[in-house]
Amino acid sequence: MTGVYESPKPRINASLLSQYIGRPVCFVGRLEKVHPSGKALILSDGEGKSASVELNDPLDEELSGIVEVIGMVSNKGTVMVVSYTQYREDKISFDLELYNEGLKVLHDFPQHYPFEVSLSG
Amino acid sequence: MWNQGKYGEASMAGYTQSPGGFGSPAASQGGDKKARTRAQQIVPCTVSQLMSAVQAEDVFKVGEVEIAQVTIVGVIRNTDKSTINIQYKVDDMTAAPMDVKQWIDTEDMGVDNSVIPPGSYVKVSGNLRSFQNNRSLVAFSVRVLEDMNEVTSHMLEVVNAHMQQSKPQSMMGGGAGTNMMPTAHASMSSTGSYSGASMMLVNGLSANQNQVLSLIKSCHEPQGISMQDLKQKLSSMSVTVIRQIVDFLSNEGHIFSTIDEDHFRSTDNEA
Repeated sequence: MTGVYESPKPRINASLLSQYIGRPVCFVGRLEKVHPSGKALILSDGEGKSASVELNDPLDEELSGIVEVIGMVSNKGTVMVVSYTQYREDKISFDLELYNEGLKVLHDFPQHYPFEVSLSG
Repeated sequence: MWNQGKYGEASMAGYTQSPGGFGSPAASQGGDKKARTRAQQIVPCTVSQLMSAVQAEDVFKVGEVEIAQVTIVGVIRNTDKSTINIQYKVDDMTAAPMDVKQWIDTEDMGVDNSVIPPGSYVKVSGNLRSFQNNRSLVAFSVRVLEDMNEVTSHMLEVVNAHMQQSKPQSMMGGGAGTNMMPTAHASMSSTGSYSGASMMLVNGLSANQNQVLSLIKSCHEPQGISMQDLKQKLSSMSVTVIRQIVDFLSNEGHIFSTIDEDHFRSTDNEA
């Protein structure tokens, strides 16, 4: 699914998942649970709501803390992960609640933070 | 290190150009400053904005905002190092990853020229370039984020910068950098500075703030509208929230208190 990398990936939280079914998204959340198979994770967003994300291959590393995943939203509202990044917190911890507030601002002002390229005439 | 002292630069240049020293007429100095700082702002942007920017000769514009020097925050997807430069592809989620080129200064031992690995979040500061329909950034700084809250702060700075500068009376001022991030985690001072510290704009406000402000404006009594009235009319907002908004509006200069701390009038009075 290399198309996901090249597309805009709107930053969303769990409440918005249902509005982005079939679309690429970027989801940032706190790792809550890893499925024994290593192929599914539960992440919680800044509002405390949870999202399920599924990986193609089982995790081959220890993940903890804040994780950002990009992928497509499935019909079931889970994120089919194309890639993930762990947010470093070795020096300063990440304020997930504040990030969630930031998300609201982005969605309130899409004209100033577009998740799309408009072709200029 | 790129400096934030755009204001300083402009006024120093003004000083040397006018033999009369600082006593020279403010008008011409102001004019010089304006022309100079307009081209020297560093504007926080998204890759999508850079790709959508309209180019007229040498000038790029995102809506009303003229951009030259910009900052973006994103994750490195790709690297390619040669002897003279490092090329990155930086993904900020708003569009396809952007080409970023950083020249290697082989003589400057103070600069770290090691390649930053893919998967790292960075803040890139540089100039927007267009070559054969391909947009890219020529970076003078690519810095690994140590505080991931800079992702959040950049998001907010982008919206703020573009919102403020979309107004017709753009306050060019001296390019005083305003760090809008209210969190304790706000990182080092070198986040992008941009002009636009005007206190006079109504449209820079959130929906709630606008609602409160409109109510205050609509009251034509000499002592203004009372907290009681605001509470009554804004049943969806808690007293705490109203109080916060009123404090904010007052700090920003949109309203002032009259007979006591619970009565407010708008500074912008419609007769």
